[in-house]
Amino acid sequence: MEARLDSFSYDDAIVRKFLFATLLWGVVGMLVGLLIALQLANPAFNLGQYLSFGRLRPLHTNAVIFAFAGNAVFTGIYYSTQRLLKARMFSDALSRFHFWGWQAIIVAAAITLPLGYTQAKEYAELEWPIDIAIAVVWVVFAINFFGTIAKRRERHLYVAIWFYIASIITVAVLHIFNNLSIPAGPLKSYSIYAGVQDAFMQWWYGHNAVAFFLTTPFLGLMYYFMPKAAERPVFSYKLSILHFWTLVFLYIWAGPHHLHYTALPDWASTLGMLFSVMLIAPSWGGMINGLLTLRGAWQKVVDEPVLKFFVLAVTAYGMSTFEGPMLSIKSVNSLAHYTDWIIAHVHTGALGWNGFMTAGMIYWLAPRLFQTSLYSKKLAEWHFWVATLGILLYVTSIYSAGITQGLMWRAFDETGRLQFPDFIETTMRLMPMYWVRVAGGTLYLSGMIVFVYNIVMTWAGRPKTYDVFVVQAAPLGTYVPPQAAPVVGGAWARFTGLLWHRTWERLPLTFSVLVAVAVIVASLFEILPTFLIKSNVPTIASVKPYTPLELVGRDLYIREGCFNCHSQMIRPFRHETERYGEYSKPGESIYDHPFLWGSRRIGPDLAREGGKYPALWHVRHMQDPRSITAKSIMPPYPHLLTQDLDFATIQKRVDVMAMLGVPYGDAINKAESMAHAQADLIAADIEKAGGPAGLKDKEITALVAYLERLGVDIRAVKPVTTPPGGN
Amino acid sequence: MKSLADAVGASGLSGYAIVALVLFVFAFVLILIPLMAPSRDAEYEADGRMPLDDLTPIPGRTPAPPTPRPQQHA
Repeated sequence: MEARLDSFSYDDAIVRKFLFATLLWGVVGMLVGLLIALQLANPAFNLGQYLSFGRLRPLHTNAVIFAFAGNAVFTGIYYSTQRLLKARMFSDALSRFHFWGWQAIIVAAAITLPLGYTQAKEYAELEWPIDIAIAVVWVVFAINFFGTIAKRRERHLYVAIWFYIASIITVAVLHIFNNLSIPAGPLKSYSIYAGVQDAFMQWWYGHNAVAFFLTTPFLGLMYYFMPKAAERPVFSYKLSILHFWTLVFLYIWAGPHHLHYTALPDWASTLGMLFSVMLIAPSWGGMINGLLTLRGAWQKVVDEPVLKFFVLAVTAYGMSTFEGPMLSIKSVNSLAHYTDWIIAHVHTGALGWNGFMTAGMIYWLAPRLFQTSLYSKKLAEWHFWVATLGILLYVTSIYSAGITQGLMWRAFDETGRLQFPDFIETTMRLMPMYWVRVAGGTLYLSGMIVFVYNIVMTWAGRPKTYDVFVVQAAPLGTYVPPQAAPVVGGAWARFTGLLWHRTWERLPLTFSVLVAVAVIVASLFEILPTFLIKSNVPTIASVKPYTPLELVGRDLYIREGCFNCHSQMIRPFRHETERYGEYSKPGESIYDHPFLWGSRRIGPDLAREGGKYPALWHVRHMQDPRSITAKSIMPPYPHLLTQDLDFATIQKRVDVMAMLGVPYGDAINKAESMAHAQADLIAADIEKAGGPAGLKDKEITALVAYLERLGVDIRAVKPVTTPPGGN
Repeated sequence: MKSLADAVGASGLSGYAIVALVLFVFAFVLILIPLMAPSRDAEYEADGRMPLDDLTPIPGRTPAPPTPRPQQHA
């Protein structure tokens, strides 16, 4: 029977929109990255309350992950999905809603994060109204994507589409469950999880955000755009099948490796390590598949910047996915955790894999989308080499910084005492490396600016009106292939012939359900025991809820982003207990909504900070850190001494905490008066010690109350500032 | 939830890593064996070429007519 052909066109306007958004947010995100790199090298670059490191660091990570990489992923998905499915997107209106909705979310993030509205969860900092908006926009994207699959004219779903399906489903699951919280105000909420469970959920999310936002969709792009650029098919389609399923099955288990030697139960940590080590197999399978796609075309790499970017991107993917499993091994992790090593690891992936895949894809797309030739191939070459040099400078300096930190923190002298007992000694040693990072970041950003210029100039050379090409394809169901292979043999023949898998590949609903099952089963395998078994979080009788003032002080700690630099989790190593005190127990953080264990030590751990210094020390330290420690790189927080504490919102915060199961007792009805009583005590103590007067209604009193409380419950030492009858 | 908590608690957490590993190996083998079987190579070859056969018109040229791919089952 002769095929009836449908005529249709692709929606490239939406691809162009996402492409420009990628460029815009790429520059913004990297500019903020450069600024925070400068702030670490010299604290004078902390430009006031709203542009300090603690507030800008999450802005940087959100901008590069969700704005730059996110828009890049959407650019590639909208372009490749239509062509692989031989169908225009399901709805142009939904495409536009997705685009503008996503950009609105980014703008909301860019406003709220510097203002200090954050949930204090890495890569999930945005507050609840924005989280809801993300869920809505993501669902719209999913409807549009799956709607396109439903009206496709190509029965087989190419492997890139599988990666997109896995990304869309898993990101939705991760986002919803990690962000479950109870609002305590228009832009304030408390996570429904606490302590160990919150830490587990966060890193289940955090690791898989890297996996399913920065890896699987980019692998889908790799499987589409590398063959296009190399003008030859993927090296092994069989390997791509193995790559996909192994990756989907393994990745979701790996999150707990972010919490080795913390208060997370050891079984979960071991499980995370085991699956992380196994991840090297599919990751390298994918890398090899990508690189070997260029077999017989390597000579093109010399002259073609697109291929140069792709080769380096896939190589960076290989390097970071070798390093990731290595870092998940507990003994290696004990050195690397909390250090800059992790930052170097992340940037090998982000700058090399995500950044260069994006650049290669856009250089390939630009002439096709703008229907003209690339403005300058020479500038593209220049971009490649400058950015490559930038990556090298960045990662070599920060790897050195990380290993230096790790080794200095654990060094003992011949008398058995810490060789570098003052934390600032390690910080000072890192300064040259931090400046080299600034140089590397500047080069990478320079390359990015050249990239933007090149693409904008290419766009400027576009025709007055774009040609809308009409393509033709047979609709599904009307086309009968001339040589349909008969199915012969029994069940074994069907199994070895992979016919069952081919059936899945053509049934998107079944395929999607199977992906969801793989992800959800693996997640439940770890989540259920973490939540159901009480022995995972043994309670400690002396650990009590924070007082209302301490609670609001904790919220200020979150607002200022202190958790970006200070951990509150002492690992059971002698070099840590010598430096910070008794190691942290799971029962210590049962009232911590959210947990604040941190993932990095730019400054020292604060888990046992309470009782170490008098209140006035904290006031002076927050006002001007260098008046206490000359070489400190901590930003100053003088505004805490002048801004009024919002006592009126304390009751609501306490009520929400009580709703979450924190036993607040009397504080449920008199939180505000209790807070005033404790603030009066602290202010009097500060004034008595020779400090400034009139701080009883200022934010600093709440923060001091919180810092003075840290770790005292387990030591049975009451902070001097605890009010009579308080917790 | 108490019974579920009891069941999970009694299952022995130290064995979780092994159970998880066995689950993974089962799924892996399920995919691997058929993949290694030397059948359907032509189909995979055709599938791998999909990005090169996506009807993308080349600017300035008339779009090429669609090429029916072999082994396409209804």
